[in-house]
Amino acid sequence: MTMPVLEVIAVHKNYGAHAALKGVSFCVEAGEMFGLLGPNGAGKTTLLSIISHLLEPSAGEVRIFGQKVTPNGLELRRQLGVVPQELAVYGELTARENLHFFGEIYGMRGAALRQRVQEVLAAVGLEDRADSRVATYSGGMKRRLNLGAALVHRPRLLLLDEPTTGVDPQSRNHIFEGVRRLNADGVTVVYTSHYMEEVQSLCRRVGIMDQGCLKACDTLPGLLQKLQSVIRFRIPHVTPHLRERIKGLPEITLRERAGDLLEVECRDVKATLPRLMTVLTDLHLALVSLETEEPNLERVFLDLTGRALRD
Amino acid sequence: MWPLAKKELRLLLRDRLSAAILLLMPLLIILALGLLTGEGFGQKPDNRLRISLVDEDLGYVDPVAVRDALAWLQVTPSAGLNAIPIQAGTVGAVHVANHFDAEAAPVIDALPRLTWGPYLQVQMGVAAEMTQSAEASKARFRRPSWASRVRLDLEQTEGLRVELISSRDELISSREKAKELVGNRKRSAVFIFGPRFTERVDKCSFLVDGINPFYRDGVSLEEIDAAAIKDPTQGTSAAIMEQVVQVSLMRVILPWMIGRAFRKLGDPSFMTLLADEVPSARIIMTESFRRALGPGIQRALKNLFRNYNLTGENWADLTKSDPRVDVGNRAKEYDEEGGNGPLQRGAKRYQILVPSYSVMFAFSLVLTVGWLFVSERRQGTLKRLRAAPLSRWQILLGKLLPCLALSFFQGLFLLAAGKLVFGMRWGPDSWSMGQQLLWLLPLVASTSFAAMGIALLVAAWARTEVQVAIAGTLLVLGLALISGCLVPRELMPDAVQQLTLITPHAWALDAYAQLFLNPEPNVAMVRTSCLVLSGFGAAFVLLAWWLLKLD
Repeated sequence: MTMPVLEVIAVHKNYGAHAALKGVSFCVEAGEMFGLLGPNGAGKTTLLSIISHLLEPSAGEVRIFGQKVTPNGLELRRQLGVVPQELAVYGELTARENLHFFGEIYGMRGAALRQRVQEVLAAVGLEDRADSRVATYSGGMKRRLNLGAALVHRPRLLLLDEPTTGVDPQSRNHIFEGVRRLNADGVTVVYTSHYMEEVQSLCRRVGIMDQGCLKACDTLPGLLQKLQSVIRFRIPHVTPHLRERIKGLPEITLRERAGDLLEVECRDVKATLPRLMTVLTDLHLALVSLETEEPNLERVFLDLTGRALRD
Repeated sequence: MWPLAKKELRLLLRDRLSAAILLLMPLLIILALGLLTGEGFGQKPDNRLRISLVDEDLGYVDPVAVRDALAWLQVTPSAGLNAIPIQAGTVGAVHVANHFDAEAAPVIDALPRLTWGPYLQVQMGVAAEMTQSAEASKARFRRPSWASRVRLDLEQTEGLRVELISSRDELISSREKAKELVGNRKRSAVFIFGPRFTERVDKCSFLVDGINPFYRDGVSLEEIDAAAIKDPTQGTSAAIMEQVVQVSLMRVILPWMIGRAFRKLGDPSFMTLLADEVPSARIIMTESFRRALGPGIQRALKNLFRNYNLTGENWADLTKSDPRVDVGNRAKEYDEEGGNGPLQRGAKRYQILVPSYSVMFAFSLVLTVGWLFVSERRQGTLKRLRAAPLSRWQILLGKLLPCLALSFFQGLFLLAAGKLVFGMRWGPDSWSMGQQLLWLLPLVASTSFAAMGIALLVAAWARTEVQVAIAGTLLVLGLALISGCLVPRELMPDAVQQLTLITPHAWALDAYAQLFLNPEPNVAMVRTSCLVLSGFGAAFVLLAWWLLKLD
């Protein structure tokens, strides 16, 4: 059995009377792309700061590659790449100088460093503007450099804290591709975001955080399967006979909403929808409207916390 | 640590405008103040009337010393000419011989012409060389010259300050220097005691064979080998000074002449004269009578003029008044304070202004260092640094070292510019450049260290740009003000001067004053200042490390 790359064990973090983290525990296996999803203020950045050695937990512990994270654990930090939420690069330096500097502080030198800087510039798509001052870059370019700065020293565990905040779709895709490529190369990734779509499209396993607690932690299908799909439709007249026929369909639950709106919850939309259409045809009922809703993380979050992710 | 230091240096130098301001602004301020302030900058205002003198008086001559000096010169003429300490003796002997011993002419002719300084000093040099004993030479020349007596009278006169002008340039005599100062309107009048002043005053007498130095306006300077060089454009000031000197000359010469005349009354030659003038008395003027008559006349006159001491050697004795209390108000050597050219190059004030503003601007880097830290925190890069394998010490030193290097360079740049642009000296002329740098470099380095210590302290404490700006500006200006960078410490009361030593600036300024203003610097004081400055720096850095919160 392989050792987890990251173990978060009952971590608490208090700021005075305020508890930012309340006993969070999870593991991330080697080569995994793990997503931490939660609204702003859920405790994601605090947790990432503890993993990055920036903060000490009030209780509990974090282990990386089996070693406990301590404030003085300088060697362990060489294995980590941290992409902070802020644009943590020097505007007065060029992209090349920034990457060179961040490589140097991790002990890289000489031709190997120059070669690696060139590789990272290519990876984040900044080769053309490598020798321009970063202050002249667009927001998206700065974000890409922000990611690149964490990659120069070839980290084995990459921590990304909301890496796409405020970027254009093109740069977002660039970042996604870069992260997927890194993961494919064997880098373990922890990706935090409050964008459900990002986590859903990137991560195989997801932890959902809210108010300092880890509400759920599972694979994406595992999380989604807890919810049913919904077929929502409207007809001119809802009759008792119609209700009886629908209730007779297999593996469904009928929910009536206000007026002439009906909701059918089911496991499998593809199987249920033709059966429903047959019932309506038999009863000569015309549809006014119809929509289906597959399970997603937004709904998972709503189900877990009772409020929307973007509240 | 080194990558961090390299990056900071790159960031500092990339902002070329700021770097230029850091280097050029102090220069501009020094230039402006150097041109705006005049002579006497950095000194307490002295409202006393300044009397400027040139003393060329050869004084009294000990014939034995002259003989010995000439004999020594004949034995070792080459040593006398080549060795600098002996040169003074050579010069003295040459002039002694020139004036008083015609037989020495062949020896004198064999020697090259040399310029010469105050005679007493020269005489002491001759004697010291020959006897190897300064005490012995002092014993030989007990009688003070008349010029020194006039000078003493001036020194003891209230409201006066006496300045002795002597040229430091071998190619120009003190008299020529005095003419230059008057010609440049730097002095309204200078009074010169010529080489034969003592000889001439010594001959002043009411007697027929003596020199009568008096005339309608007082003492005739020409008669006593003295002169006054006056600036016609500053007539009033020159006239006041001349009257002051005239009064001193009278106070010195008159008692001497009266005493001399009084003593003549007891002289047998006067008795003979008296007998010649009163023929009827010639019968009773026996030899024994004459011997008794002289002292008798002197006693009678003493009784007649009992309010006076007719044999008094100075004015106080003559007038039987209380002697002057010597308050140690001695003549001071002329100090070349003014400069040359439009920039006033070489002016003494640059010796004060350049170090003052070098020290002040070294501490002005407090703001720069503070902003470096705050901006690192604000743009989030501090978080990256903390997540990297860097310790707190490495982060702190990575910031400190480039700022220290910048501060050190700034200090050297200002001192170098001070030397090249303003013609300032880095130490006494007698020191080699290497020796000057040997003391200057540690002083600049330790000053920078203390400054950067304070800078780190501010950076460790401040969380925002506004906090850096407020704390930094108050510290820079406050410390500069109380330490004497802006207002020279010499103008402060003694107690306040001591209080300023709580600032590192004051220690740096003390050390610079030793190197730049003192002809014989107290290097122990410079060493102590360097140690204290380093101590300040170390304490500030430790405190900064303790206060520094990187989160």
